[in-house]
Amino acid sequence: MVFLRKFLILTLFSIPSVSLSDEKIEQSKFFVENLGKQVVEQVSNINLSENERTVNFRNLYLSSFDNYYISRFVLGRYWKRLDSNMRKQFIESFNDYIVATYAPKFKGWEGTFKAVDSLIENNYYNVKMNVLNKDGPTLKLMWKIYLDKNKNFKILDVNIDGVSMLVTQRAEFMSVIKNNPKGVIGLIEAMDKKTSG
Amino acid sequence: MVKTILNYNKLLFSLLVFCTYTLLADQCKAAEDVNDPFETVNRNIFKLNNTLDDYLFKPAAKGWRKIPDIPRKPLSNLASTAKTPISLANAILQLNKQSIGNIIGRFLINMTFGLGGMFDVAGTDSFGNVSEVEEDFGQTLAVWGVPDGPYVMLPIFGPSSVRDAVGLGVDTVTNPLSFAYRMNNIGLEARLSGPGVRGVAKREKYLDYLDEMKEGSLDFYATMRSLYRQKRRKDISGELESKDLSLSMLPIDVYEDEELKTEVQTEVQNVITTTMNLDNSNKEVKKPRYYNGILPSSGYPGFNESRVNLIE
Repeated sequence: MVFLRKFLILTLFSIPSVSLSDEKIEQSKFFVENLGKQVVEQVSNINLSENERTVNFRNLYLSSFDNYYISRFVLGRYWKRLDSNMRKQFIESFNDYIVATYAPKFKGWEGTFKAVDSLIENNYYNVKMNVLNKDGPTLKLMWKIYLDKNKNFKILDVNIDGVSMLVTQRAEFMSVIKNNPKGVIGLIEAMDKKTSG
Repeated sequence: MVKTILNYNKLLFSLLVFCTYTLLADQCKAAEDVNDPFETVNRNIFKLNNTLDDYLFKPAAKGWRKIPDIPRKPLSNLASTAKTPISLANAILQLNKQSIGNIIGRFLINMTFGLGGMFDVAGTDSFGNVSEVEEDFGQTLAVWGVPDGPYVMLPIFGPSSVRDAVGLGVDTVTNPLSFAYRMNNIGLEARLSGPGVRGVAKREKYLDYLDEMKEGSLDFYATMRSLYRQKRRKDISGELESKDLSLSMLPIDVYEDEELKTEVQTEVQNVITTTMNLDNSNKEVKKPRYYNGILPSSGYPGFNESRVNLIE
């Protein structure tokens, strides 16, 4: 009798949790596919002015990526050496740099995004995706995303053929800081120069 | 006597402190250590490679892309098939059963149904999507426990490490096809056809990607160094992230700056309202500078206090 009760309780609790997990996995796949569609519609479209393209890309980036967290990661050990104002300045310049670097690259891009799988690992969703370029080879991406407290998905990293964009960005910034006598200020100036140029 | 013992203990204590400090400093450095003692020389070779790339490899890759699928794909597949003996030998040296099965399976399928390796039928759905596995002697050395050593930039071949450069040399010398060429007095042009096609095909694969990287990069050399390290790590161990730089280490208390967090949240509301109401006609739009204030909670997924200081 006790066994039967335990079995029933376990069954009752396990069934909804499995379906909930499956649902979240499907939602994570939908999230990245939908982001791809939005990029094609709102950024790649050749009829858009450069201003519109930049504003649309910025909105998509800020609403889909956890840019505060990304800024923290790419600055590595230097983050804790900065005061609040410097951190703010860095986030500002970094966001501008990302938008200025990537928004123009999507102009006229044609292709489709297909999420093929999503795996949960340490509370992250690793969503595997194939990007089918119209004029080029298929790229295999893996998006690292998580659910924030408002139950919205946020992107932490994009992995292209085994290469993390976040780790690459961090390595680059560490090198720039190391080779620049002004350190982090030098990095901010270099990003601003790239953004305005 | 007592004084001598006390002095001796002081010396031991100082040594202990020094050793602990050095050890801790090394561990902290390890996370971001680029292990590039020849950086100045490497950067010069990198410049040379970039010039060669601009004037030789990139135009060749662009030309390669323009060639129709046939004969481009069969040629590329043949060049890949020609690498099978060396990949198989290394898979055996690594005792990697999965790679051995994969390499033999692909080879047999492509040599029979793929008309002598011209068509990659093994990679199609009908044959179970058998993916291409490349094993080299650098990977074999890694499996045997040899560390990668300092980063080196090889002329023409590009990014490498001391271990992988040795591996490249061993693979070139011991390749059975090299023996066959020599025994049959086949000329250098024919010998270079396989590596040449593989090189051009690989450059073509990353044509747009690398151009974009180069254009947006603040330090392209450092970017390439990181790309190479990550790619090798994935090839050797299958890990996508270094344990030293794992993103799983990130959910530390990154939102410790409450003042900045509040400021960011307030600003994002204004920005979203502004951009939502933005008239996209011919109006000159002031370059917006704002943050995403939708921040994760302090109960960040995977948050673990024990990891707090590991990343610093």
